[in-house]
Amino acid sequence: MRNRIVSLMVALAAMIAFSSFTSAQANQQTGAAKADTKALPFDVHDLTGIWDTAAYLQPKGEVNPLALNHQPTPLPPFTPFGEAKYNANVKFIDAGAVLDCDPFGTARNFFTPRPFEIISSRDRLLQHFEYYDNWREIWTDGRKMPEDLEPDYMGYSTGKWEGNTFVIDSANYNGKQFLTWTGLPLSESMHQTERWQRVDRDTLKIVFTFDDAKMYAKPWAITYFYKLKSNWVLDAHPCVLSEIKEYDEKLNHADNLPGRDYKPGK
Amino acid sequence: MKNKRIAFFGLLAGLLLLGVPVFAHHGGSEYDFKNPITLKGTVTEMVWSNPHCQIFLDVTDDKGKVVNWAIETFAPAVLKRAGWTHETLHAGELVTVTLAPSKKGNPVGMIRKIVLADGTELSGGHLGELPPQ
Repeated sequence: MRNRIVSLMVALAAMIAFSSFTSAQANQQTGAAKADTKALPFDVHDLTGIWDTAAYLQPKGEVNPLALNHQPTPLPPFTPFGEAKYNANVKFIDAGAVLDCDPFGTARNFFTPRPFEIISSRDRLLQHFEYYDNWREIWTDGRKMPEDLEPDYMGYSTGKWEGNTFVIDSANYNGKQFLTWTGLPLSESMHQTERWQRVDRDTLKIVFTFDDAKMYAKPWAITYFYKLKSNWVLDAHPCVLSEIKEYDEKLNHADNLPGRDYKPGK
Repeated sequence: MKNKRIAFFGLLAGLLLLGVPVFAHHGGSEYDFKNPITLKGTVTEMVWSNPHCQIFLDVTDDKGKVVNWAIETFAPAVLKRAGWTHETLHAGELVTVTLAPSKKGNPVGMIRKIVLADGTELSGGHLGELPPQ
């Protein structure tokens, strides 16, 4: 009888595999039982709030920026140089050395399954990414991209409204980060365009276009979605080298993994 | 209790079928998520820190030998959203942990859920939004 109950539960679980996990704890965290807020009125030009990644909404057939552990995914149109760089990055990731304290850059932050907050100010939108406590400025005062900037991990971003779409141009990346956790590369040539649309009260849709002639033979795009988390606050997640070292020593080394005892060659 | 079990299996199946990566800095491919195991043991240490918390658990095996398991969780921020606090576990407490074991056979694993001494059940949390029911 017990086995039958377990079998039934497993079968049911398979049927609801695309369902969310709701628990008493989750309700406790959000402060109240989930209500249907999708139909509530909202301002399409108000993007402020905390947003969490909803990777499951990405259209099928696009490059999956979270396809770790060799899950099948289309790859972007690499240049020969970009493909070689990607292969080297995958080798590096497979060695278990994906973690460091470098700022993630904008794209990798967007595709990290952790929330970010959008804060509006007079002349900027600010993005605060929970993971590693990264910040991004998106200038909204009409300025052009400065020409004499020092390249940076997070690049330089300007944004403007085109109807109900907030359009962001960003460039000036230093090319020292991965574009995604999967090791897709980016260079100093990267020009990233984002088209943000609040498609309903709870859903933010962003179309990313990556134009980096050094790494990719032509521009390519993906569509990603984020869900509004009205009752959340961001938590602290700084990157602390001493904590990483402790984690390596206590956990990775217990499983005969190297941890991060060597300097990766990016 | 039954609902919690269903929710747990739903979460597990969802992770497997959707191919949601498990962000283990340890290397997600090193854990056997398809064959989770359940261990009952005594907490020897709880490390509440980034990048991922760690639970150390003394487990007595079939031959009476005590083995100290190193169990990885997600980051504190993710655990908090699943109902944990830094005070959830203390050394000396008896708990039951379901985990994805290391494929290498070492006493290392990635947590899926925990049942505390008072019967409270907590999931290991999840990354990003899961599809609605």
